[in-house]
Amino acid sequence: MAIGLTTQRARPGLLARLKDVPWLLVLLVVGLTAVSCGMLYSAAGGDWEPWAQRQMIFVGIGLVLMLAAALLDIRTWYRFAYLFYVAGVLLLLGVEIAGVAGMGAKRWLDLGFVRIQPSEFVKIGVVLVLARYFHGMPQERIGNPLFLLWPAFLVLLPAVLVLVQPKLGSAVLIGFTALVVFFVAGVRLWKFMVLGGLVAGAVPIAWSFLHDYQKRRVLTFLNPESDPLGSGYHIIQSRIALGSGGIWGKGFAQGSQSQLQFLPEKQTDFIYAVLAEEFGLVGSLGLLVVYLCILAFLLGIAARTRSQFARLLAIGVAAMFFANVFVNIAMVTGLLPVVGEPLPLMSLGGSAMIATLTALGLAMSAFVGRDRTISRSGDDVV
Amino acid sequence: MATRLSDIVRAIPARLRLQGTAAHALETARHRLVVGGMLFAVAFAVVGGRLVDVTMLTEAREPRAARVPNTGPLELARADIVDRNGVLLATSLVTQSLYANPKLIANPEATARRLAAVLPGLDEKAVRDRLASDQRSFVWIRRSLTPRQQYEVNRLGVPGLFFQREERRVYPHGVLASHAVGFADLDNRGLAGAEQAFDERLKTEREPVRLSLDIRAQHVVREEIKRAIEEFNAIGGMGVLLDVATGETLAMVSLPDFDSNAPGLADDDARFNRNTLGTYEMGSTFKMFTAAMGFDSGAVRMQDSWDASKPYTIGRFTISDFHGKNRWLTTPEVFIYSSNLGALRMAQRIGVERQRDFMDRVGFLRPSPIELPEVSHPLVPKPWREINALTISYGHGITVSPMQLVGAAAASVGGGILRPVTILAREESARAPGERVMSAAASAQLNQLMRLNVERGSGRSAEVAGYYVGGKTGTAEKIQRGGYKKNARISSFVASFPAHDPKYVLLVMVDEPQGRRETGGYATGGVVAAPTAGRIIARVAPLLGLPPMREAVPDLTQPLLAAAILR
Repeated sequence: MAIGLTTQRARPGLLARLKDVPWLLVLLVVGLTAVSCGMLYSAAGGDWEPWAQRQMIFVGIGLVLMLAAALLDIRTWYRFAYLFYVAGVLLLLGVEIAGVAGMGAKRWLDLGFVRIQPSEFVKIGVVLVLARYFHGMPQERIGNPLFLLWPAFLVLLPAVLVLVQPKLGSAVLIGFTALVVFFVAGVRLWKFMVLGGLVAGAVPIAWSFLHDYQKRRVLTFLNPESDPLGSGYHIIQSRIALGSGGIWGKGFAQGSQSQLQFLPEKQTDFIYAVLAEEFGLVGSLGLLVVYLCILAFLLGIAARTRSQFARLLAIGVAAMFFANVFVNIAMVTGLLPVVGEPLPLMSLGGSAMIATLTALGLAMSAFVGRDRTISRSGDDVV
Repeated sequence: MATRLSDIVRAIPARLRLQGTAAHALETARHRLVVGGMLFAVAFAVVGGRLVDVTMLTEAREPRAARVPNTGPLELARADIVDRNGVLLATSLVTQSLYANPKLIANPEATARRLAAVLPGLDEKAVRDRLASDQRSFVWIRRSLTPRQQYEVNRLGVPGLFFQREERRVYPHGVLASHAVGFADLDNRGLAGAEQAFDERLKTEREPVRLSLDIRAQHVVREEIKRAIEEFNAIGGMGVLLDVATGETLAMVSLPDFDSNAPGLADDDARFNRNTLGTYEMGSTFKMFTAAMGFDSGAVRMQDSWDASKPYTIGRFTISDFHGKNRWLTTPEVFIYSSNLGALRMAQRIGVERQRDFMDRVGFLRPSPIELPEVSHPLVPKPWREINALTISYGHGITVSPMQLVGAAAASVGGGILRPVTILAREESARAPGERVMSAAASAQLNQLMRLNVERGSGRSAEVAGYYVGGKTGTAEKIQRGGYKKNARISSFVASFPAHDPKYVLLVMVDEPQGRRETGGYATGGVVAAPTAGRIIARVAPLLGLPPMREAVPDLTQPLLAAAILR
């Protein structure tokens, strides 16, 4: 170990870092984005217009950003963590002030040349600041509840801003991601239990603040057949799509549910149902396995990093990725209410695609810099 | 490794303790990483299991039955009623009935006003009072709405109003066979006629109830009776057509009648089925039974003569003939001149006991066996004295229903076999076995007289070329409290055709016909009922599949004429 301390000083060159990028992970990710474009081609009735083409552009931008993020030195991320976070929160505030409404909610920010969903990007900022905050923090401080107030604030600020858009699903995902980071950072278990108790107590109160459509979604989730043509429509059609796929599926571009437009939002939140219908149980479980591999990769990175920052960064990205995949597939299969969260790397959507790829780039950066140590000021340990 | 790590941590200087913190954090983090990773894996396993469940195990498949419109058989609470040829007489239509839950009605006054605007005839005040009730949570507003009315009510958009799927009984032929078919109420309970008689069967079986009626014959009979009523300014009329071989009622008309679709609009007189519920003194038509029982018992022979030279007095009664010949009459003469005195003499020779027995056998002493609920008991003398026997011989002193008369007449002209009259169409296997009530020879002799009466007697106007009608007229004074009504009579005619082998028996009765100048002021059975019967037979016989007979048929009256029995 002592040997490691001395050899780490030298900062590896760009080429060396490029060689160090986990290319197998990159391959899995690129493979998924390719499947995404294929499914969007199919969902459009066998046409590159209007979705697959756009998605390919998003994927292109996202992959470039992912590699850039991967190659950026881990300490640079550490240093500018707050900058990213503040930028994300400012964008969220921008949505609140000058956002563009769509489908009953203000979620978009029009930057003139492009519209973005800041709620997707702010997740990265949250993971970054939490990783930085807990980096190198002594255990006794973590044990002191007072020291948890600041990171709690860092999480709640964007979460609340997302919640009022309103985008309940994203707010919950931000909260979950943060909890995982807290957990791995070493926050005592009993605190999570207290939090859980508080949340359970707050549910009835929160229920009264929910929008009618949100209440309806939850109730419909509990009994989708109660409103088969209204709120329950998504779930029922989605389950029909899944069920009709069988083991081997109906074949590429052959799904009647999706091709005949029975399945709403098939290009975004319900893309998984399209895939399940056309490639069957084999295809949908296969996709699940790919996601699991990516997740295992991210956890492996977290296990192998030397610095707490890189580890928390990787675990944060993993948690974010996991939560998004889980929530979406659980929603499509009817395990969770329709919360309107996209499936990472599959659903059509520029902001989500680029944000997810960038976040994966962060995790890769953590892998590239896995042996580096970082002082609390952001420099190498001397 | 752990001991070595802690050794190193202890060994390094304080300013590098950060490393120690890091090591500790690393350990915690790795433990928790494993826990987190396992939780992730479990979550994925759950989702994967769910996928298998939804794809392979749950019933969700390509658009399922739940989304397919119901094309199953229509379930109705009440079966149809049809005539013998399957013509629909009663059926059920699905309708919507409007009710309200007063507890959910915010403004009874406004609601009642708006309902009255779209439902013509609605009692606004009554509805308002019912809607204002705070005890009840169910009040009917209107039963059986039309689709347009339902649409209008829906368009009001008043909360607290609801529709109940109901079935409404519809009678496509309305008045035509209303007494036989009867009617059911809004709650599908049969209240009259076949609807009541076969209520259980209509509710439990899907097969329609097939009546014996032939709606075409029913139409003809009704039209001709109605015509006679109008022609003679009568107050009512009856007509029954019976299949002699089976006892099936092919037509049953009672006028005035009512519409089965709206029985509530008719008065009691119109709802009254005169054929089964009404009992009357039948008058001279009864002489056919006097003749029949006389032939059957041997008390009366064709060549016998009977003293009709002067009125007969018994006690304080004096019996005379209408347009009497005031001489002795042969048996056929008694029949065709419709001599009361002749019939009386026959009854004297037959005797009280034998008359009573015969009347019992042909069914005059018990209610008609027809299945309809509206049947009445005959009014028979008790005790049955000689005076009763004398008056009964020409149809007075006993009141029976037209259905009873038709049933007995069919047995008398049909070879002497009595078959219970029925309103149901009977397959060969379901027919009641006949019961012999007189000799075939007596029946044949009666047919001779019946035919003779149409050829030469009071029934001449009932003759229809090719159908060899036989018949007996009747003109009965109507009973009133304390005696007989002046100028109030029932004219009737019992016909059988063809007379030598009767297939059908037809009874026509006209209640209180008034004499007309064209008929010489008469309103007797021969003038009123016989021509009506003739017109009915002329129209009905062909459609019952009876072609006019061109070839020679046995001449029933020639033997009588040859034997110079008829002067």
